[in-house]
Amino acid sequence: MKRHYLKALIISASLILTSLGISFADDHKRGGTLIASMGSNPRHLNPAVQSGIATGFPGSQLFATPIRYDNNWEPQPYLAESWEITDGGKTVRLNLVKDAVFHDGVPIKSSDVKFSLETIQKNHPFKTMFGPVIAVETPDEHTAILKLSQPHPALMLAMSSQLMSIIPEHVYGDGQDPATHPQNSKNVVGSGPFKLVEFKSGEHVILERFDDFFIKGRPYLDKMVIKIVTDPAARTIALENGELDFYAFENVARNVVRLKKNDKLEVTSKGYAAIGPIDWLAFNTKRGKTADVNVRKAIAYAIDRKFILKAIMLGVAEEARTGIHPGSPLYDPNVETYEINIEKANQILDDAGYKKGDDGMRFGLTVDFGWPPLRPNAEYTKAALKRIGIDITVRPSADFPTWARTVSNHEFDLTWDTVFNWGDPVIGVHRTYQSSNIKKGVIWSNTQQYTNPKVDAILEKAGKEIDPEKRKALYSEFQKIIVDDLPVYWTNTLPYHTIYNKKVGDPPLGIWATSSPMDMTYIKK
Amino acid sequence: MSHLDEQEEIQAKPSREMVGVFLRSYSALTGLIILIAVSIMGFIGPIFYTIDPFDMVWMPFSPPGADGYLLGTDYLGRDILSQIINGARVSIAIGFAAASVSCFIGVGIGAFAGFYGGWIEEILMRITEFFQVLPTLLFAMVIVALFGSSVLSITVAIGAVSWASVARITRSEFLRIKELDFVQASKASGSSDLNLIFLVILPNAAAPIIVQSALLVGAAITFEAGLAFLGLSDPNVVSWGQVIGANRTYILDATYTVTFPGIAIFVTVLAISLVGDGLNDALNPKLRSR
Repeated sequence: MKRHYLKALIISASLILTSLGISFADDHKRGGTLIASMGSNPRHLNPAVQSGIATGFPGSQLFATPIRYDNNWEPQPYLAESWEITDGGKTVRLNLVKDAVFHDGVPIKSSDVKFSLETIQKNHPFKTMFGPVIAVETPDEHTAILKLSQPHPALMLAMSSQLMSIIPEHVYGDGQDPATHPQNSKNVVGSGPFKLVEFKSGEHVILERFDDFFIKGRPYLDKMVIKIVTDPAARTIALENGELDFYAFENVARNVVRLKKNDKLEVTSKGYAAIGPIDWLAFNTKRGKTADVNVRKAIAYAIDRKFILKAIMLGVAEEARTGIHPGSPLYDPNVETYEINIEKANQILDDAGYKKGDDGMRFGLTVDFGWPPLRPNAEYTKAALKRIGIDITVRPSADFPTWARTVSNHEFDLTWDTVFNWGDPVIGVHRTYQSSNIKKGVIWSNTQQYTNPKVDAILEKAGKEIDPEKRKALYSEFQKIIVDDLPVYWTNTLPYHTIYNKKVGDPPLGIWATSSPMDMTYIKK
Repeated sequence: MSHLDEQEEIQAKPSREMVGVFLRSYSALTGLIILIAVSIMGFIGPIFYTIDPFDMVWMPFSPPGADGYLLGTDYLGRDILSQIINGARVSIAIGFAAASVSCFIGVGIGAFAGFYGGWIEEILMRITEFFQVLPTLLFAMVIVALFGSSVLSITVAIGAVSWASVARITRSEFLRIKELDFVQASKASGSSDLNLIFLVILPNAAAPIIVQSALLVGAAITFEAGLAFLGLSDPNVVSWGQVIGANRTYILDATYTVTFPGIAIFVTVLAISLVGDGLNDALNPKLRSR
C-alpha cells in the first residue's frame, strides 16, 4: 500500500519537475572513480557465452544489448533505438543506433547482432531464451530482423541485461571457439559504456570510460574498479570504513542488518526483481511418501514462512508464495498461503492414513540442502516437522557437486534450494515445472519430476501469448495450480541487497541490478 | 637394566597402591568427580529433563532465565539447557570413541614397529611421521567433507588424525621392553610373536599409553567442537560443538548461545586432563613411592 502511495508521489513529483523544465540528469556529474566489489570470481567477462551474475556485472558494462529495462519493467531503447513487432509476434525488427562503434572503433552493424545471437544460441546455457528464433535477416547495416517459429514474449527480456550481449564478429568470429576465446578475459572488445583496462582473476576488474559510447555524454564515471572480495566479513568492513563504495548481491542477512545501521551507507533490496532468486523446499513427487500430495500439503502447513523470514532471514527478505518472484508483474499473491497450522497438518496426515507410532512419529524423510547458508532452513525443517510426526534426517552434502548429483538423479525426499527466475518465466520458471524438462543428471531442471498435463499446456500457451493481460491471466492460473499441487514449497526471496556509499548517485536499482549498464551512475561531489 | 626394574615391570598391574595415589591427589579426584557428574548428566539427565533438544519451544534468542528457560533459547527457539544435557552424551561418546580409534591404530602400528624393527619399523614410522606433520584439522576436514558429516565419519576422522603420538609412545616402550629378560625368556620358551606383543609386552607398556589416551579423549572433544565450529557437524545429533557451530553466526547478538556450550566443553576437557594427570602419577612407578 505504502509503496504504491510512494510511487504515485514520485511520479507526480517528477511530472511537476519536468513541467518546470528541470531534469534529473542535471544532478549527474562527470568524472570520478567508483570502487565497487563483487563476491565471486568470474570465469571470464563475456556474457554471450557465460551465465551468472559474476560475469554479468563487468560483462554488462563492457557489452551493450539491443534494449534495456527501466525500474517498472518497461523496455527502453539501448543499442536498438526502436523496434517493431509484427506478424503476430513472429517477426521482430530492430533498428540499431546509427553511429555506434565497438571499443576498437569499428562500427556496430546488424551482422554483429546476427553473429552475437547465433553465438549465444550455440553457447549459452539458457536454451529457451532464443529457442524460437529461427533466422536473423540483415537487410541493411542498421536493421536486424528476427524471425521466430512462434510468438515469444520472453524475447524482450532476453534481449536486455547480460543475456544478449552484442559482441564484434570481426573479433570473436575469427574461427576460435567463442566459449574459450582468449579475448573473453583479455583485450575484450565490447560495445558497452566501459572498456576493459585489466582483469586479474581473483583480484579485480578495472574498467575505464569508453569516450565514443553511442549515448552521448555517458557514462558519467571515468573509471570503475571492481574488487573481487569473496569474504563477506572483509567486504562488510571495507564498506563500513569507506574502502568500498558499492556492493550488490549481498545475501548474508546478518551483514545487511549490520550495514543498515551505518548512516554513511544506503542499503536497499531494490533491483533484483528480474534476477528473481527464490528459496524453496523441493519435494520428490515421484518417490516415497512425498509422492502423496497430502504429505506435501501437511509439510507446507507445518513450515512457518513467517518464522523463516523473521528468525533466519532477520526480517530482510520477502515472502514468496509461488514460483514467480514477488517483484515480477506476473506474480499472483492471491493463492493459498499455507499459514502455519499444525492441527490441520496433523489432520491431513491422519486422514491420509499415516498413523502415528508409539514414539509419536509417522514416518521418516531426509532433507538435503544445496549450500551452507541453507543449513539453518534444513535444521528448522527437522524441528518443525517433528511436530507433525515426521522424523527428518538432515543430510549435509560434502560439497555442491555432490548435492547436485544427488538431487539431479532424483535420489532425495526433500531439499532446500535457491533458484533464479532470470527475467521472463520462460527462461527461469518453466524449467522447474514442465514435464518435458525432467532430465536426469541436470540440476535445476524439473528435478521434482512434477508432471501435470494441465500445467504443461498452460505454460506452452503462456510462452507464446503476446497479449500482456491474457499472459498474466495464464500465469495466474499456473500459479494457482502449482500452489495446489506443491511440487515445491516456496518460502522467501533471497535477501539480496545493494549497499552503496551515500556519495554514489543513481546506482543500478532497476530490475537487473548490476547485470545492467551503469552508465547513469555518478559520484556526488 | 637392574634387577629391580624388571620386578617393577612384571608387576605393572593396577594395584590398591595406585588407586590410593590417584585418590590422594585432590586435582585428580576433582576431575574424576566432574567427569562422572557430566556423564550422569548426559546419560541419565534426559530422563528427568524431558524437553527435546530439537523442539522449538519458545521465541528464538530468549535470554537465559527468561520465560523459564534457564540457559535461554537458540536461533530457532530450541532450549539450550536441553541441548547441553543431551549434547554431553554425544560429546563424551565421540571423545571416547575417537580416542579408542586412535588408540587402536596407534598401538597397532607402534607395537609392530617397535617389536619387529628393521624395514617394518622404517615403513610404519615413516607413515606415522607423515600423519604427524599433516595439519590435523585440515586433514580431518577433508575426511569429513569427503564422507559427509555423520557422527561416524567425524569420530573416524578425529581418530585417524590423532594416533601418531600413541604410535610413537607405544613404539618406544616396545623398543625398551622387548630387550628385557622376561620377554627374552618368553621368547625362548616358544611364544609366538603375537603372543609376545599382546600378552607379554603390551600389558607392561600400558601405563604411558593409558595416560596418553586419556588426554586424547579431551583433545577429541575439543577437536569435534572445532570441526563443528567450521560447520562440519552432524545436524541430526546434538553435541556441544554442534550447538556452538549452529549458533556461532549469532555470537554478537546472543553471546550466551555459544558461551554455555563453550563452558561445558572447557569444564569437561579440564576434568579429563586432571584425571589424565592423576593417572600419570598413579601409574608412574617412580612417583608412586613418594
